Amino acid sequence: MKLQRNLFLASFILPALALYFLFALYPLGKGIYLSLFDWSGGSETYNFVGLDNFKALLRDGVILKSIRNDYILIIGKVLGFMVLSIIFAIGLTRFRIKGSGFYRAIFFIPNVLSVVVVGVLWRYIYNPNIGFLNSFISLFTEKEFNFPWLGDQWSIFALLPPSIWAGVGYTVILLVAGILNIPDSLYESADIEGASQWRQFWSISLPLMWEQVKTSVLWIVMTTLNGAFVIVTIMTFEGGTDNATQVLGSYLYFNAFKYGKFSYAAAIGVLILVLSLLTTVVLQRLMKRETVELS
Amino acid sequence: MQVNVNPFWRWMMKIFLVVWSFCVLYPVVWTLLAALKNNQQFMLNKPWSFPELPLIWENYLYVWDKYQFSSYFINSVLITTFSTVFGVLLAAMTAYVIARFAFRGNGLLYMIYLSYMMLPIFLGIIPLFFLLNDFSLTNNPIGLIIVYTVTAIPFGVFVLVGFFKTLPKELEESAAIDGASHYVTFFRIMLPLAKPGLVSVAIITVLNIWNEYIFALLLINDPTKYTIPVAIAVMQAEMQYRTEWGPLFASLIISMGPVLLFYMIFQRQITGGIAAGAVKG
Repeated sequence: MKLQRNLFLASFILPALALYFLFALYPLGKGIYLSLFDWSGGSETYNFVGLDNFKALLRDGVILKSIRNDYILIIGKVLGFMVLSIIFAIGLTRFRIKGSGFYRAIFFIPNVLSVVVVGVLWRYIYNPNIGFLNSFISLFTEKEFNFPWLGDQWSIFALLPPSIWAGVGYTVILLVAGILNIPDSLYESADIEGASQWRQFWSISLPLMWEQVKTSVLWIVMTTLNGAFVIVTIMTFEGGTDNATQVLGSYLYFNAFKYGKFSYAAAIGVLILVLSLLTTVVLQRLMKRETVELS
Repeated sequence: MQVNVNPFWRWMMKIFLVVWSFCVLYPVVWTLLAALKNNQQFMLNKPWSFPELPLIWENYLYVWDKYQFSSYFINSVLITTFSTVFGVLLAAMTAYVIARFAFRGNGLLYMIYLSYMMLPIFLGIIPLFFLLNDFSLTNNPIGLIIVYTVTAIPFGVFVLVGFFKTLPKELEESAAIDGASHYVTFFRIMLPLAKPGLVSVAIITVLNIWNEYIFALLLINDPTKYTIPVAIAVMQAEMQYRTEWGPLFASLIISMGPVLLFYMIFQRQITGGIAAGAVKG
């Protein structure tokens, strides 16, 4: 009986766990291991070089630029996502506007599209000659306006609108759920005491949806460090002019699979890991608030 | 219910919501129309002008046949289907055991899966590539199916553990009294009861895999084995030298069409599932 139970447990746990170890955890560990060696693919020999790859990272100007770009995306996205989704979430709940379910459904549409699709679409919007944006601006200017949005030294900022457009539906749903979870009675008694909507937002809605705000911010950080690669390579191919839009993910990819510098690329991977852990810890500290007890 | 929002702000909010809805819907509708234009219309007319008659339906034919999107479509459908089925099944088995059985290492097992969501996948892509290469699983849809299955497991475990925990204990007990084995109990009783949870995990997994780009780019080089996102990216890169706007947007529709249809059918499960996860924490 006991044996039967254990066999059953093993047969249910092990297939998934074995695959998961081999194809998810082992590569992560091996990535850290590789970063300490000088290894150029295929070969059997690994030369231990200690922290040399990391010292090289520090001297590499593109790394600094990539970190800067990753954080421009993170900060820009956090601000954009949060401002928009807090406004939308309040509008879709506290304002009691008709068709709130309809708006929620619509707002989520870009989230179901592939980032590749989003990138191709926005690359056309930014097209200098025949694109949507410049054609629109040209309506108001005497000369034809043809600013190369994706070929400029500050093009990283041009990647913010597509990222926000594509993702904000998700955080709207999170925050709406947070607000709907707040008992109506709190708002009712606030109404009786004559607290303005603005006041109610600051002292009821925001503190009580803080958990969802935190979740959203951490989600943005993780998806940016992990996923900015896609929007960057689709919209600006190899990282724009003079690495203007290079991010760590794309720089890792090019180092490994274009230049064959696998262990250097692995060191970039470790850097991504360290930055994501650091950022998460710091943000969790910063966003720590007294948990509000529902009485 | 009395609402004491200043009417001015109420109107501003309504306008804002309508404007954003437009911003979301217009690019989708625009793509549908742009896929029916020829190059000349892109060069000479305004981007927002309607396609001229006759509509260039040939653009679809062109990407479907000449650009081989017919095979990319089949690749994407097969890979998405198999990965989702395997991923959800393995996640359900693991989640069931974690949720319903007390054994040593139970909590640890759960943490091991959860931690994946906090780790950057980029750290692992180089070893993953060589690992699959050693097994001759690069340029092989099976390799991609394995990777997608594995990446689907942590999320599935996370959602389904919560789900299995809510099912009443008596069900298993009475099944055991009837002499049903653990396997029969799981496949005949628990799995059907968990259907709503399985469905919402499967839906989200389908969307993720259909749209996935990084692993597909990493593991597939052979142009006949592309998935749709990779094919679109390659096509767009070629457009730097030879512009074919209409076909490019037709290819976007081939990617968007199925997911939008899917979203229309399952919208409640998708947004409802996210909302439920949001308040459970």
